[in-house]
Amino acid sequence: MASRVFVTGMGVISAIGDSLAANRKALVRKESGIGYSGPANSRYVGVIPFGSVTFSNAELMEHTGIYDAGVSRTTLLAAHAFRQAIQDAGLLLSEATSGGAASGCTTLLTATDTALIGATTVGGMCLTDELYRDTNGGAQGSGYLASYDGASVQQYLQNRYGLSGLVTTINTACSSSANAIQYGGRLIRNGLVRRAIVGGVDSLAKYTINGFNALQILAPAACKPFDEHRQGLNLGEGAGFLVLEREEDLAGKKVYAELRGSCNVNDAYHASSLSPDGEGPFLAMQGALRSAGLDASAIGYINAHGTGTENNDASESQAMIRIFGTPPAFASTKSSTGHTLGASGAIEAIYSILDLFYQEAYPSVNFSTPIPETGLRPLTEFKPMKLEHVLSNSFGFGGNCTSLVFSVAPARLAKVI
Amino acid sequence: MLYIHHTTCISPQPRLVGGEEASALAGGEGRGTAAGPVNGVYKVVEPGYPGIPPNTLRRMSKAVRLGVGAAMPLIRQERIDGILIGTGNGGMEESVKFLRQIVDYSEGMLAPGNFVQGIPNAIASQIGLSGHLRGYNSTYIHRGLGFEHALIDASMLISEHPGTHYLVGGVDEVSGYHYRIELADGWYKTTVTPGLSLYDYDSPGSIAGEGAALFLVSGESADAVAAIKGIETFHSTDQHIVATRLRAFLARHLPAGSQPGQQLSGSPALYLSGENGDNRALPFYSACAAVLDPAVPVVRYKHLCGEYPTASAFAVWLALQLAPPQPLPQHILFYNNHKLTQHSFILLERFR
Repeated sequence: MASRVFVTGMGVISAIGDSLAANRKALVRKESGIGYSGPANSRYVGVIPFGSVTFSNAELMEHTGIYDAGVSRTTLLAAHAFRQAIQDAGLLLSEATSGGAASGCTTLLTATDTALIGATTVGGMCLTDELYRDTNGGAQGSGYLASYDGASVQQYLQNRYGLSGLVTTINTACSSSANAIQYGGRLIRNGLVRRAIVGGVDSLAKYTINGFNALQILAPAACKPFDEHRQGLNLGEGAGFLVLEREEDLAGKKVYAELRGSCNVNDAYHASSLSPDGEGPFLAMQGALRSAGLDASAIGYINAHGTGTENNDASESQAMIRIFGTPPAFASTKSSTGHTLGASGAIEAIYSILDLFYQEAYPSVNFSTPIPETGLRPLTEFKPMKLEHVLSNSFGFGGNCTSLVFSVAPARLAKVI
Repeated sequence: MLYIHHTTCISPQPRLVGGEEASALAGGEGRGTAAGPVNGVYKVVEPGYPGIPPNTLRRMSKAVRLGVGAAMPLIRQERIDGILIGTGNGGMEESVKFLRQIVDYSEGMLAPGNFVQGIPNAIASQIGLSGHLRGYNSTYIHRGLGFEHALIDASMLISEHPGTHYLVGGVDEVSGYHYRIELADGWYKTTVTPGLSLYDYDSPGSIAGEGAALFLVSGESADAVAAIKGIETFHSTDQHIVATRLRAFLARHLPAGSQPGQQLSGSPALYLSGENGDNRALPFYSACAAVLDPAVPVVRYKHLCGEYPTASAFAVWLALQLAPPQPLPQHILFYNNHKLTQHSFILLERFR
């Protein structure tokens, strides 16, 4: 019998805050982090809105105590959220801030049966100018030669915290960190590890800004997920990490929620857009419900992928209607954070878990008019809500669709029913 | 248990198709028959890609082309329930092309093709698109361990969903921009001497390579070529830790007496070593060799494919092309070291 998997620690940084408490406060107050700051080296900053983390790289270094050479903003954001998550789960006691290896790592953190599964899409490619110079060739490389790929993030965390178990990096575009969560949960259920630290990160970068701009899906104003007059997405940045543990190991621990079900499928329709009937999103949600052993009617709230693009919101709406008939309360928290790409699956999983833990539902901002074909209205006001099961959707380029189901922790269930 | 049923490979060795020739090549004795590096790089010999429409082919990056090209014969064999691809460099060339346009054209209006093709999941997703495969689809980019992590995932999927079939593999391309970064970081030899065996250099760095090796796997033992008995990946800079972990790995997956007539604990019949001509990596390979019975034959393979992050997928494919040994079944151990810090062990049991 496979172990049930629970979330025992979380850490997050996004445009709406640098901690769980700060993110929750902004979600409750319906505060958006979308604004006009962004990476100083892009001409689009000040022209189109983004969901920037307010810390500069220097401030992130100060907060994380990381001053090592060759560390990208992506890694700094990841380190910030990773440390919060492992501290929250009691895997890190304290940490000295003198570079290199961290102190205060528990033997559980460094054990060979603790995995780290990370995800990112931009990785170190936020270092646009350094990468440009290094690809010109020449004997003298920059200090970032080993920092451009996605694996550099996990490699750094692994060295700093002395991790000795399975460490990997997944990139399935915008569903990356939902897949990292799923992979970690399945490693535990299959008995391959006892605990897994899972999550994702992406920093706002000239690289991705221009990529999405070339695809003409960046909104000229604050994004309006599921609105008839939506004009595209706002890119954001951030990181989210979660600690997953087996049911057998929960004694004396704070338990946020259960990772109850998950499903990864491919839409197999187009390299950068979803099918109009939402087949991939439909199969992902259906599969996640099946793996959770739940009927659609058990889901009380959906943290939708809801990027605010013409294509995603139409496709996801069709899929929700196909699954639920009348969908339950749903919202896109990307209207507050922007689309954090490889981090979004983890950040939104964390918001979904906070929904369950505090028995409340976070709203979309900027919505006014439903899409005529579907008539769906996301939740537009914060409200306390009795919730047992929450669905979190993440869909990406290449048709990669993943849905996760989280369920209220048993100790809190009594308070719900 | 994960069973391998069919394999394909696009490699720098077009003549390497199996049988005795493969055996000679893998023994390192086949200089003259095995294709060596050209201009200091082991480049794949690409097939004609008969199953891919020319317009589709033209839009694909090389890594995507290799992946889809290698996948085509396999996705016709069987119903496929998922695609799991490991790639270390996949997408890097397209990404850098796009990044350079950003700088060269001062963030003007750019065509998104390179950006979309540059996402490493383009390989697995284009295979899905080509075969209308809506099942599980994932991409592992953890440098030298991506293929191993794809295999681990496939073995979990097989135990979670009995009766399912998966396409698993490793795909990497060597390309100009990425080559320069790796060269500057000290991972390739600055001079390649024609005629000198990869293993006869006494200098840091290896010779760049590329390839795509894919496997059709399931939980069904009938007609299987081989089974994966164990996989372990970790990070270390200490060869003693590598040796200790290899001992424990073999004791766990290949205990004493698990093969007829074999007494020594943890002794495979064959060992495929990822030695790559980088003299800094030799202590790790020596430490692993010292764990094994000296009578175990060692096969090195990177003189056939060059060094790239998912070269261990080529190694697994190659091991299944070698002339069938006697007696069968036979346990084959793989150890690969990537960039002196990433280590992987794979234990395979060959049936035929």
